[in-house]
Amino acid sequence: MTYNIDMFTIVVRAIIIYLVVLFLYRLMGKRQLGQMQPFELVLTLIIADLATIPMAEVSVPVLHGIIPLLTLVLLHFILTFLSSISNKFATFLSGKPVIVINPEGLDYKALKNLNLSVDDVFEAIRGCGFFSIEQIQYAIMETNGKMSVLPKSQFAPVTVQDMKLKIDKSVIPINIINEGKIVKDNLDVAKIDENVVKDVLQKANVKKVKDVLIMTIDKNGMVYLQKFGEKYQTLQVSPLGQVQE
Amino acid sequence: MTKYGWFKLVSIFLILAVLIGLCVLEDRLVVLSLDEVKRFCYEIETVAEENGGIVNGEVASLVDNLEYSWREHESALCFMVNHKSIEQLGVEIVRLKTYIDEEEPIEFFTSLEIIKHYVENFQHFMGASFHNIL
Repeated sequence: MTYNIDMFTIVVRAIIIYLVVLFLYRLMGKRQLGQMQPFELVLTLIIADLATIPMAEVSVPVLHGIIPLLTLVLLHFILTFLSSISNKFATFLSGKPVIVINPEGLDYKALKNLNLSVDDVFEAIRGCGFFSIEQIQYAIMETNGKMSVLPKSQFAPVTVQDMKLKIDKSVIPINIINEGKIVKDNLDVAKIDENVVKDVLQKANVKKVKDVLIMTIDKNGMVYLQKFGEKYQTLQVSPLGQVQE
Repeated sequence: MTKYGWFKLVSIFLILAVLIGLCVLEDRLVVLSLDEVKRFCYEIETVAEENGGIVNGEVASLVDNLEYSWREHESALCFMVNHKSIEQLGVEIVRLKTYIDEEEPIEFFTSLEIIKHYVENFQHFMGASFHNIL
């Protein structure tokens, strides 16, 4: 009986700790692991460890897990605030970006200061889509551990501006049907009604909304539609909602 | 300031308030509970000495009161203090009752001393001292 009660206690404690940690992470923002500054990474590791103690040990009050968590988050906010008002403090806390490749090639001294090997640099630049140092004008090791690469002009990807082309502005497709269900909030965003959706489906030989895996529409009236288990098709809708070829 | 900014600011102050509140509450609760136990211990000691032994109704009654008082405070303390660090106190209080029943004054006073020692030194091994912080 006692064993069962212990189990139940652990379940409730796990839920409480989970909700607290979730709340604290939401409070701290949405940075991904790879985008974290060193002090944020340390905080994440400690939080993960702290959260498990009161979960597993019933004799430890839940507050003994929550109090250090709250303290660390508070400390995080203080450090973030100080970083935002003082560049020196921000540099002290997170370091500063370091140029590891310059027009003269690899900066060995910088690599040694960062405890990086040449292989690490190659790995990082390959991750950026470059396979030779010769292609790179500058490579900068950011404070979050990511490498930023500026390619030499002759190796830079061609842009629309380089080609001097005139193209329509990029538009964001709006999700109208998602896994067989109309996303009603998005109809207003796309400025269409359900009749337009019906017309599109009719034109695409789709009988029911629930047969559609995905249907999007963009500002130019371009519809992308895919039925479950079939290849996608595209249609054009006029601003008045009439389906065109 | 954005909605999220306000939410963050309010949360920070709320966290700060919760932390300060909990620290103060814990301190008050521990001091109150242990002071009560200490008071009972000295009272039991005095009564036992005055009556020439532990086998009398007054000592038994005081030990019962001590047990009752401790049980009341213990449940509140369990929210704040590691249960393992205070369970010894409960065990020793129960032993006091057993020693009265078995008429063992030496063990009784030993347990009483343990309780007093624990209560008087709680700050040393649990409180916010330089040694404990480091």
